Amino acid sequence: MQFRCKENVPLMKKFSLLLLISIAAYHQAQSQQTQQKLKKITIDHFFSCQLDLLFDTLAMDHHLRIVFDRQPLHEMDVVEHFFEEPLKDVLAKVCNENGLKYWIESSGTIYILKNTDDLARLKQMNQLNLKSKDAIKAKKEIAAPLELPKHFLISLNGRVIDQLTGESLPSASVRIKNSELSTTTNSEGYFTLLRVPSDTSVVEVVYTGYQTDQFRLNSGNINSTLICGLYSSLNTLNEVTINGKKSGVMNTDSRQVGVLQLSPANLDKLPSIGDKDILRAFQLMPGVSGTNESSSGAYVRGGTPDQNLVLLDGFTIYQVDHLYGFFSAFNASAVKDVQLYKGGFTSKYGGRLSSVTEINGKEGNKNETNIGTDLSLLSASMNLETPLSPKSTLLLAIRRSYQGPLYDKIFKQFTASTTTQAGGGTGGRGLGGRGGFGGGFANQVTPSSYFYDANAKYTYTISQKDKVSWSLYTGTDKTDNSRDLGLPPGLSGSGAGIAITDYTKYGNLGSSIKWFRQWNKKLYSNNYITYSSYFNDRNRGSSGGSALDSNGIAHSINNTTLETNNLKDETFKSEWEWQADNKYKLLFGGFASHKKIDYEYTQGDTTQLINQHNNASLGGVYAELSIDPNSKFHIQPGIRTTYYGPTGRPYFEPRLSASYNLTDRLTVKGATGQFYQFENQVIREDILAGNRNFWVLSNNNNIPVGSSRHYITGLSYENDNFLVSLEGYYKTLSGLTQYTVRQTQTGGGGGFGGFGQNQTLTVTEDFYQGVGRAEGLELLVQKKLGRYTGWVSYTLAKAENKFSAFGNDYYAADQDVRHEFKSINMYHYQRWNFAATFLFSTGHPYTAPLASYTIKTADGNPTTYLTISDKNGERLPAYQRLDMSVSYDLLKIDGHKVGSIGLSLFNVYNHTNIWYREYQIQNNQVITTNVNYLGFTPNITLSLKWK
Amino acid sequence: MEIKTYFRYIIILASGFLMLASCKKNSVGLDYINKPVVEAFLVPGQPLSVKVYTQKDLADTAVYGAALTGLNLSVSDGSKSVQLTESASGVYTNADLAFITSGKSYTLQFTYDNVVVSASTTMPGKPVGFKLTDSVFYVPVTIDPAYATKVLATATWTNPDSLNYVLLFKNTDSDPFNIITVRSNNKPSFQVNTEGAAIYNMTQSSFNYYGHYQVILLRVNDEYINLLKSNSRGSSQNLTNPPTNVNNGLGIFTAMQSDTLALRVTLKQ
Repeated sequence: MQFRCKENVPLMKKFSLLLLISIAAYHQAQSQQTQQKLKKITIDHFFSCQLDLLFDTLAMDHHLRIVFDRQPLHEMDVVEHFFEEPLKDVLAKVCNENGLKYWIESSGTIYILKNTDDLARLKQMNQLNLKSKDAIKAKKEIAAPLELPKHFLISLNGRVIDQLTGESLPSASVRIKNSELSTTTNSEGYFTLLRVPSDTSVVEVVYTGYQTDQFRLNSGNINSTLICGLYSSLNTLNEVTINGKKSGVMNTDSRQVGVLQLSPANLDKLPSIGDKDILRAFQLMPGVSGTNESSSGAYVRGGTPDQNLVLLDGFTIYQVDHLYGFFSAFNASAVKDVQLYKGGFTSKYGGRLSSVTEINGKEGNKNETNIGTDLSLLSASMNLETPLSPKSTLLLAIRRSYQGPLYDKIFKQFTASTTTQAGGGTGGRGLGGRGGFGGGFANQVTPSSYFYDANAKYTYTISQKDKVSWSLYTGTDKTDNSRDLGLPPGLSGSGAGIAITDYTKYGNLGSSIKWFRQWNKKLYSNNYITYSSYFNDRNRGSSGGSALDSNGIAHSINNTTLETNNLKDETFKSEWEWQADNKYKLLFGGFASHKKIDYEYTQGDTTQLINQHNNASLGGVYAELSIDPNSKFHIQPGIRTTYYGPTGRPYFEPRLSASYNLTDRLTVKGATGQFYQFENQVIREDILAGNRNFWVLSNNNNIPVGSSRHYITGLSYENDNFLVSLEGYYKTLSGLTQYTVRQTQTGGGGGFGGFGQNQTLTVTEDFYQGVGRAEGLELLVQKKLGRYTGWVSYTLAKAENKFSAFGNDYYAADQDVRHEFKSINMYHYQRWNFAATFLFSTGHPYTAPLASYTIKTADGNPTTYLTISDKNGERLPAYQRLDMSVSYDLLKIDGHKVGSIGLSLFNVYNHTNIWYREYQIQNNQVITTNVNYLGFTPNITLSLKWK
Repeated sequence: MEIKTYFRYIIILASGFLMLASCKKNSVGLDYINKPVVEAFLVPGQPLSVKVYTQKDLADTAVYGAALTGLNLSVSDGSKSVQLTESASGVYTNADLAFITSGKSYTLQFTYDNVVVSASTTMPGKPVGFKLTDSVFYVPVTIDPAYATKVLATATWTNPDSLNYVLLFKNTDSDPFNIITVRSNNKPSFQVNTEGAAIYNMTQSSFNYYGHYQVILLRVNDEYINLLKSNSRGSSQNLTNPPTNVNNGLGIFTAMQSDTLALRVTLKQ
């Protein structure tokens, strides 16, 4: 063993001085220091030795704590001459050459890892070593206070951020050790703690996916806003990505009822059909139906997707999915954090009957530029995060689908023929009324369809207390199923072709400007100006050159049906949070908005059939008091009042939620409240022939204001490894709306013609009104730690509606599912992640024809009518699906994850799940066609970050 | 152990709920399928004829279901009741033309399968002031979308109370000529629900066939309009039972009055 040392002595001295000071400093500073050391210390040294000796030398010379397995490293040699190279590069180089990774913990300790899973063992080893060396030091992770406390019962105000990117971390748990004081950070990452015992108290900050940080207060750092920077944890620490929020000793999380939280960072560990999908991930949890492949929207506890409020950076998103509902409209790389409130939600939110999904967009990296990309068989996305100035950051994320095999497969699922049950062959499935032309013709389908979405967010920090951010989201789906029909010669005599137009374009544009201000240590405010629009245009019809009539005269034809739905929502809202003292927190605010919805239904060569233009202004205030009388009990009464212009009256929504910790692991909780909804998304009866859905505003006559009452109670048990949660709910609903457009039949032809182009078509609209009720019980058992993680969930539920149009009894609502079982299994080995999710649920209810009969009306044309079962009296076969995925983490030399490669298998055993049944009449016979969901579908995903 | 105890409670609770929520069996079927179908249009001056038949199996390719024979049908106008005779199998008639007149209500009644089937309707008033702008309608050589809404002819009638009228275009040619072949799935004769209006506008694409038409203005009842409005296209997501005014049965028993004009549809030269 021989080596020469020639070191940078002045630097060395400087750092030993720093080291001394840092004993008093807190943890995260140590990690920061190690990082800095790695960058600043330069090595000018010739090494020719075993690797373990190299690390020993480095550790000793530079006062670093380096932990490694001695035996394997002893067998590795290094022969290298470093000239003035930063220590970081030296580490990277030797690790790289020997297939190792290094990892810096928040305590500043450097771990040398052969496999990422070694970390846990090395950590333990480190602890033991420390203990044997210095018993006292090992016991106390945090240094003793340097001086006696000077201030008592202080108020503390701080902010939790990601140390590397500067991104604020909402809902992080902050507590004062050895006291009952605790809180969670707000959406801007801020927290306030009042009456902290002294300025030498120890603060602990916990956030999923990050290393827990502990530090001691001192008289210096308590006066300004305390910045707590957290370091991400090594990817292998098996934390479950989605959790029914963790119950810390005393954070509001365990006390909220029915809240699910998701951080998109680890979504690539779950199987996905296409891209990483934040909304679909929630469908794996109890209470959110997982069997609606055709909707990314959330069917929460017997509710429909339009009863779920989706907020992105404060503005409402009205269309949450792409490509017939198969993919969520949100790009996971632009999302920081998502919370789903399954019911009984706070009075801060309103305007929806069932649930709230709140999405916080990423602000972007404050420290350095980073570029990332995500590729799958369906879409490609790019994202950019960059600081523009020391005070401002920018995030851009763009995603576009391309017409790969996966896109085509899903597209065809919706547009091609499917299995036929009875009778002879059938024609096309009649999308957009194609049925009339059927299979006989050679359809030349040349669809050009795509979707894209883009997110942008600009954040400017005016001062320590003020921050302004501008967020933009736009997404569009264009589905073009247009095609040319080459008419067989002889039919028209001319052989002239006909072009079928079937064109749908829909999407969102939303934007918000948010001003955050911290008025003082106790008072925060968020003011928003938001704009959101939704459009859905559908154009279908046929046009042709010259078709000869029986007199031999050529006619050109053009039959078009145009449907447009436009919604515009302009809102101002102001949200305030006042921490009166540790027991009382007041949330209050106000909002005013103007909504405008247009719906037009025009038939090209006749006239405008439906022409609706509705406006509504609404405004209101809310207040909610969060009370913690002691460390066990939490109660949160609130009220929300909305004045709705079109009905000219106010709506009061009292809310209440409470929780009680029976023991420190067992919590009982409950919530109740009144909820109103002033806009409805109506699903057209002929789902494929028309607009799939559009929005209408409640009014004083035919569209009522929806109303719902929730009663929720639950019990949860959580220890370090397991979470068991049981929640029950009962909801009543009234003012439900179902919409139907009926064609006043003309020209006979059996009425099933679809593309019949009755030139004298007239349309009438009907809104059916009804009531509903939903009840259910949800059980979740989750294993949170270890190589194997996952959960099992079972939901027993019932959702019923009563519409006088369908009878006087309650019937199973369309989304009603009795039993739903979900098993989510994730296994982690080194850099590999394996996942298998299995879903089983009772089939959806449907209405079936039982018999048919024919009536010859006054024009002498027979029309066939179907006698049907009770409304939703039948059930489709049970739904079941197994998805599997495997992904491999791509790690940098310092152990940070920079991406992953994954393979997803959707519906592995290719189970045929029926979406709905369609009935056509041919030769007076009723032919049943099953329209199925996706079969086995593989997908490959690649996710990469530049840094 | 603590956790085991909780598990046990949860399992007991969950299984309790399971038992409570055992599904209720829906008693749909038989009643509905066995309901007889009635088809009758009462028009003054025409003999009363009621057709009664069964529903069809879904796979049945016949137009009508099997005729129901041997029934005892009676129709009452409130003061007088007539017994119908079965003139053909499943078709029950009464030849007395004077029985069906304006302003009266009629009730049909018969027993089928030990259940009383009945239906009522009221004879509406006769249409008044029915006029066409011209007795000839000229179809333009080119059907140009730009002129889609251009009114080429109108039918008008008196309707101050926005009552229900249906306009029936009955092609009387034995072998009518198509105007445009691709619309061939439309029948030569067709009807239009005028939705309470007193006017109907004819445009370039109002007709599918050339030829001679009887334009019949029908004053109808709600039950007829309901039948026209019923959406018979369908998937399992949107099926609804068709409307009927027959108790314990299906179909329609309705009265109407008409006024007829002649129209010739030809190509513009």
